[in-house]
Amino acid sequence: MKKQNELGKKKTKKTWIAYLWSAPSLLLILLIVIFPILYTGYISFTNMNVYHWTNYTWNGFDNYKDALLVLDNGFIAALMFTVLWTVVNMVLQLVIAYVLASLLNIKNLKLRNLYKTLLIFPWAMPGYVSILLWKTGMFNSQFGLLNQWLVKAGFEPVRWLAGDVIAFVCCTVVNLWLALPFMITIIDGALQSIDQSFYESAKLDGAGWFKSTYYITVPMIKAIITPAVVITAFTTFKQFDVIYLLTQQVGAKTGADLHTILTYAYEKAFITNNYGYSSAISILIFILLIGLSTLMNRQNKRAEVDE
Amino acid sequence: MKRAWSALVALVLIAGLFGGCGSLNGKAESGVTSGTSDSTGTAGTNGTDTKEEGPVTITIWHDKEDAVAEVLAESLKTLEPDIVVVLEKKSNMTEALKTVGNDPNVAPDMYFFAHDKIGVYAEMGILTPITDILPAEELSGYMENTIKAATYKGEIYQLPIYYETLLFMYNRLYMKEDEVPATTEALYDYMVENTKGGHYGFIEQHSTPYYAAGWINGFGGSILSEDGVPGLDSAETIAALEYHKKFVDLMPGETEYATVNTLFNKGMAHSTIAGPWLIPTLRDNGIEVGVAAMPVIDKTGIAISPYMGVQGIQVLKYAAANKAEAVEKVLRQIMDVNLQVELALISGCAPASEACYEMEEITSDEVVMAMKETAEHAVPMPNVPEMDVMWTVVGNLLTDVNMSGKDVGESAKEAQKEAEQLIENMQ
Amino acid sequence: MMQKTKNEVGKMNRGKRMTKRKIRQNLILTGVNLFFIILSFAILVPILYALSVSLNAENSLLSTDFSFIPKHLTLQNYKAVFVEEPILIWFKNSMILAVITLFLSLGTGIPAAYVFSRKRFSGRKIILRLLILLYAFPSLLSMIALYKLLSPLGLINTKLGLIIVYTGTMAVFALWNMKGYFDTIPREIEEAAMIDGTSTVQLVLRIVLPLAKPTIVVTAMMVLIFVWNEYIFAINFMMGSDTYTLAAGLYSLQATEMSGSWPVFSAASIVVSLPILMVFFALQKYMTSGLTAGGVKG
Repeated sequence: MKKQNELGKKKTKKTWIAYLWSAPSLLLILLIVIFPILYTGYISFTNMNVYHWTNYTWNGFDNYKDALLVLDNGFIAALMFTVLWTVVNMVLQLVIAYVLASLLNIKNLKLRNLYKTLLIFPWAMPGYVSILLWKTGMFNSQFGLLNQWLVKAGFEPVRWLAGDVIAFVCCTVVNLWLALPFMITIIDGALQSIDQSFYESAKLDGAGWFKSTYYITVPMIKAIITPAVVITAFTTFKQFDVIYLLTQQVGAKTGADLHTILTYAYEKAFITNNYGYSSAISILIFILLIGLSTLMNRQNKRAEVDE
Repeated sequence: MKRAWSALVALVLIAGLFGGCGSLNGKAESGVTSGTSDSTGTAGTNGTDTKEEGPVTITIWHDKEDAVAEVLAESLKTLEPDIVVVLEKKSNMTEALKTVGNDPNVAPDMYFFAHDKIGVYAEMGILTPITDILPAEELSGYMENTIKAATYKGEIYQLPIYYETLLFMYNRLYMKEDEVPATTEALYDYMVENTKGGHYGFIEQHSTPYYAAGWINGFGGSILSEDGVPGLDSAETIAALEYHKKFVDLMPGETEYATVNTLFNKGMAHSTIAGPWLIPTLRDNGIEVGVAAMPVIDKTGIAISPYMGVQGIQVLKYAAANKAEAVEKVLRQIMDVNLQVELALISGCAPASEACYEMEEITSDEVVMAMKETAEHAVPMPNVPEMDVMWTVVGNLLTDVNMSGKDVGESAKEAQKEAEQLIENMQ
Repeated sequence: MMQKTKNEVGKMNRGKRMTKRKIRQNLILTGVNLFFIILSFAILVPILYALSVSLNAENSLLSTDFSFIPKHLTLQNYKAVFVEEPILIWFKNSMILAVITLFLSLGTGIPAAYVFSRKRFSGRKIILRLLILLYAFPSLLSMIALYKLLSPLGLINTKLGLIIVYTGTMAVFALWNMKGYFDTIPREIEEAAMIDGTSTVQLVLRIVLPLAKPTIVVTAMMVLIFVWNEYIFAINFMMGSDTYTLAAGLYSLQATEMSGSWPVFSAASIVVSLPILMVFFALQKYMTSGLTAGGVKG
């Protein structure tokens, strides 16, 4: 009896200490991450818009009714596109980053630090600067470097951002350019955390490159890179800048009809200055995202992050 | 022991957070007293300043070129030492005003911008009518079109300074004065003849609403009526879009500012429709630029009629209530005709006061006078809040029609539906 | 590896095999080197482009006959950046924000990540899962909400306001990322130390932190880059251009319809990237010291 009581006490103490240790971090998350979500949820039930900017009142589910009306075929198409965009980008990112990081870890590669720095250079530039550089410097049909090279090689100039498919490829290239430095760094760090003796004993057992990759490298780095990968997946899903700035910017549209759910929501809701309505759309997208990720989590229990 | 230790760590962290707060706040404030152009000067200190002796600070947000801001700042210096005016260039001003407009601690006292946002801000309740500060009679010296543009729901919300519209510009190296097309068909013929080998006869930001509006208006169509009704599926608008298409086919694929203006700037395009702000850069690049009247659309007999924007000063509610006296003085200084002339000449726009057009400096300036002439059939941009959604809808419509080759009539109908839906969702 | 080869291979064939193997290895190395040289160049093309534009006297970003080596070298654009723009003030602002945010992020993140990795307490799993889900919230709308939060506290237009926003934004990442790495550090070492009577704080400082150096460096770098490159909060929550950070200042320099010069903008974007690049270089040796370098063998 006494023992059990003590055990309980010990557990409470443990919980208490754990929360104390994580309090500053959790407090900040509460303020900066959770509060805006709650506030958005609250605003989504009001009529806060241009006409009731300060004197907004509760209007129940009106915004949600309006929002559900807008979630039409266009929205479904945008959602499908967003999923495609996320999958393509994540697969390419992981494969390319893994290959590059493995090559960087080849023995006797003396210049590896130089290569590493050069490869992560894109990371050092603010995202919108890079996107602008790509848009005007590379893809512009009149002055872009790509077309200059094409013309010099005797080909016809190409309108890089005009068609849906080609614009998708261009957006993916830019997104990879922006995101790979992070992924390479993460995977590189993970690869280095693997004890070389594993490989040595695998070699003694006669395992080839493929086998040791499959049985040693991948399982060992999985745990380390999963948090980063999950977060990157969400970031890719939420990616707005690349697609919007390259193809959809007001006054500089290129003719490609690429819409993720965010650029779609932007054009359907945010430009109305109706914050109640936009909030309702945001909350709906949020719920949808949670639904999707829970679904994926359930299907892929092995990718479960925490034990 | 362990517990005490971890509590201590947490405490240190939290203390660090707030300790940082104190010192950083201190830094920010000391910056205010030493920095001259620091807008934080408005923050906090102002509210009390009006009641006390000492200078009142008036902060004006703007998005203008440095040269324009300098002229204005110089003139407003005459109000010192009683009133110190701080001009702050704000990069995302229109969005920032929505966020901070009601916050007396950080909102500016006035802003210097085009009239088209008046409706949004007036409905949000962050603007004060100019007539609350100045008697309406004193505004009688302003041109009628500028005052009309500044009026929303019967109240005048802007003190106009100058107005601007797009101009037909040509490169004298390629296009002689007698070659300047008087009609759009003549322009088309010129384009067919001269668009080759990387050169373009005529270019514009064809799928950008602000630029395409001139064609739509010239056909008697409209993007949005004065009272906020979209007119995208009207027969006139559709006719304009259909007619405009053949011109677009002879222009580059890009519609954005950088491409179009660089082509003209590099002497790769013979003529363009662009804003007066382009002219200083053109002159720096050694382009001999001519300015002409807009070509007349053959079918309607009306010249291409771009939007007109009136640039002026809007006063925020909080400033009007708390610093009425200083605000009035600043406004009166800005009403000075000589200042208007100076600002007009440096920006290449047309001054808003009638009196300026009796002055030699103005009547002898080619650009300003061309501006005034074009503005006579220019259409003032609607200032109703509904306009905010139209830019995107029309942009999509133009892209569909000009770049994706979709059917004009169908796209226009869809865009109209879309616009109506969005406007409904604003409420 | 060499050791083993030596042992396995008979004396007779030794010399021959060695050279063959060496040649093969050298060939692979040359190939890999060549690959990385080409790849680095390809990746750097847009940046070299900006660099060339910024150094070229008569060019704008848009030109029809571009070459990577400027035809008329000039430092005029860089001079413009330093003389006409308050870039040194922006630099100072960015530095202050970056350094404080960095320390706060690690200071709050490390203890949190540690307990979430090591302790089992009620609410742990739920919080972990919740945090990752919250990350899914599109942040387009959080601007207004954060404004409403900071404004009554008087934190708008102060560096502290931005620091709190930045630290909070990166907190989920910091916690998750470091927790993931802590999970892979074998517990046995800590348990051994526990028996020796080391306190938890000492344990973290002396044993866990050195082992977790790579993840701490990566997290720190992420925070630094985020603060350095973030501009949306900075231009919305800071009112005067003197209070801007480098990225926000650069954003305001951006070629807009009426102002802005591409060459100056290119020069500024190079200038902004340099400090981060130097940090990359400086931190690289810490990032490469993984678990093995820490002397721990599984």
